[in-house]
Amino acid sequence: MGRAVAVIGTGQTKHGRRDDLSYPDLVREAVKKAFEDAGITPKDVDGVVYGSMPSMMEGVAYNHFYFADALRTVGKPLFRTETCGSTGQSVAHTAIHWVASGMADIVLVVASEKEHEGDAQATMMTILEPFLMVTIGGAPVAFSLQSREWMGYYHIDEDKAREAASIVSVDSHDGGLNNPLAHIRVKLTKEDVSKAPIITYPVRLYDVCPVSDGACAVIFASEEKAKKICKKPAWVKGIGFRGEEYFIGDSSKAVWQSTIEASKEAYKEAGITNPLKELDVAEVYNPFSYQELMFLECLGLCPPGEAPDYVIKGTFSPGGELPCDPSGGVLCCNPIGAAGLIRVAEAALQVTGKAGEHQVEGAKLALSHAMGGAMQFNGITILGSEL
Amino acid sequence: MQKVGIVEVAQSAGTESPLSLMEFTYKPVKEVLDKVGMKRDEVDMYILASTDVFHSGMSCANAFDWDASGAFMKPASREEGDAITSFVYGCMPIMEGKCDTVLVVGLIKGSENAENDTLTSFVADPFYSRPVGIQETTAAAMQMRLYLQRYGITEEQCAKVVVKNLSNALFNPYAHIKKRVSVDDVLNSERICDPLKALECAPKSEGVCAMLLASEEKAKKLTDKPVWFKGWGSSMDTFYLGDRDLLDTQLKTAAASAYKMAGISNPRKEIDIAETCEPYAFQELLWCEELGFCAQGQGGKLIDSGVTQITGELPVNPSGGVLAMNPYVARGLYRVAEAVLQIKGKAGEHQLDKKVNTALAHSTYGFCGQWQGVVILGS
Repeated sequence: MGRAVAVIGTGQTKHGRRDDLSYPDLVREAVKKAFEDAGITPKDVDGVVYGSMPSMMEGVAYNHFYFADALRTVGKPLFRTETCGSTGQSVAHTAIHWVASGMADIVLVVASEKEHEGDAQATMMTILEPFLMVTIGGAPVAFSLQSREWMGYYHIDEDKAREAASIVSVDSHDGGLNNPLAHIRVKLTKEDVSKAPIITYPVRLYDVCPVSDGACAVIFASEEKAKKICKKPAWVKGIGFRGEEYFIGDSSKAVWQSTIEASKEAYKEAGITNPLKELDVAEVYNPFSYQELMFLECLGLCPPGEAPDYVIKGTFSPGGELPCDPSGGVLCCNPIGAAGLIRVAEAALQVTGKAGEHQVEGAKLALSHAMGGAMQFNGITILGSEL
Repeated sequence: MQKVGIVEVAQSAGTESPLSLMEFTYKPVKEVLDKVGMKRDEVDMYILASTDVFHSGMSCANAFDWDASGAFMKPASREEGDAITSFVYGCMPIMEGKCDTVLVVGLIKGSENAENDTLTSFVADPFYSRPVGIQETTAAAMQMRLYLQRYGITEEQCAKVVVKNLSNALFNPYAHIKKRVSVDDVLNSERICDPLKALECAPKSEGVCAMLLASEEKAKKLTDKPVWFKGWGSSMDTFYLGDRDLLDTQLKTAAASAYKMAGISNPRKEIDIAETCEPYAFQELLWCEELGFCAQGQGGKLIDSGVTQITGELPVNPSGGVLAMNPYVARGLYRVAEAVLQIKGKAGEHQLDKKVNTALAHSTYGFCGQWQGVVILGS
């Protein structure tokens, strides 16, 4: 195996509607914070990995060129990795491979989105090819279909699923209140969620993530450098990535193979056999609360079809056996390209005890995850406090 | 750090194909696997390269390409940008000892895209550069004007690059543009954007290139003649053209890193063949200077001397280069593929008439070479 790799610093913008600065300056805000956190300067970095959603999002193609200065990549190599919604995980994986290969010692990873400068839903319509799939159109439609498929497949009572989804939403929004950088910071009750206006049945307003501006930067380093520079690095324990068929009808989205296989790969690398017991915290990609329920099953954190029972009994709530998305998750902040990397950064904060008000006490092993494409791609990164 | 061997390559031709993008992608992928007798599932990891900007109007290019490229349910990723980065990414998991085999696929179907200049105008920032008409060709024209003025390079010398590369392309079955042209033909072709003439600008081509990489042990099992990854360097420049010296690009930095990693001290002597990315003819001369094949400002003299001809001491673009075949994103991987074929001695009619031990593949994208990458391969 290659060299051990660690996170030695993270930086996130204040997420939300950021009309106060330009897109390059949004990127700069996150990059600056990551350097301050790691206590190094741009000259210490060997290269940069950047990613975002497609160019149609903000209307600038290959925007890493535009951000060259903000990314502090001038005079250095740059990789642009992009896998749609799972971009945030994929950019981290590029950096991990790069450092592990021995071709770089310190790599800066940045991902960003400034959704208020474009039309995110219109862009996502163009992920679907124009002849057959376009009729499915847009994230809420696709994910509502998936929720229905999942409930039907496991014969899950709709009221029970509704209650569990409401708990996911309430827990996430409570997390958002504890996270000063989160976009949505409101106190919600289960009734607020279950009685909110319907977006596409069964998904209601508070089951849906917001449209956010935000950037995230994470600095990865080799074992030798990490030990020298950083008092408490977050070690990369395992990674996994899988993608399935393009056409949505070609595979089951209730038993989500790409999530299942990606997590199995990451657990194997991390030496985890019982993820629910061994993990201390999970940052699950939850742009829709119903999706988090499916992810909990496919990530192997509870048996298939039983996520609602586990959620209702509080397994994944604050203080539960495995708290999920203490940062508020994607439900409270979704700059899409960055959302997967924010999960990695949050996992790093948790295992190094730097998460502040939303810290899970004594967290040592954390899972981060993101999903993308036409419900196609799943990426996982597991971080731990011990090498 | 493990050695990385390139086992086999397959490429598609640049001319317009009636196949759908999925079928078009599938063919070279299948071809490369068939050549080594492997099944899709036996490959450890897939790295794709494609770009949303040049992707038939569809976003998240990897989503649509996934099935046809073979990446289904395998560890994988995608580089958005030049495909030479997917090659380097593909080397990483082998170097760290995590994978034995990696399949790299770069793809584009130019015939389904709008004009390159239309699409590259979206690379310009929307506030200052785009409104004044900056795109790849207008930016290159400014760079060429500066090149002619500062070093006294002549338009004839730039035209000679076209004559050389298109003449080489006549022997490359995959090349898109196949016609014999003279210096006068080039000089008399339409002025696209002064001083750039039509024949000095690369076409818009189709292109899928698939390449199988393997660890040392595995590579020796899969092929009689593996080609080895020896070095790599890349570097990024600042964004605004006015903030840069357009004749002092980051290629020098990229090349220096690649030469250092490969242990090359005299590139002119040690490199046997170079495949460069020259979407505009004059850029081949400029890149040759920055790659250290001649002194600064001497690119014109280099082409006059005949050194870079297919029969010369250091042939540049024996495949015909990007001027003959421009599958926008995939073109960087095509450069690597041509370098591999030359070392393997399998380039066919455009095979060099000498022993090829060390080859250089270069790629660039962004205005006036904002990003530069260099790969060194060895026998």
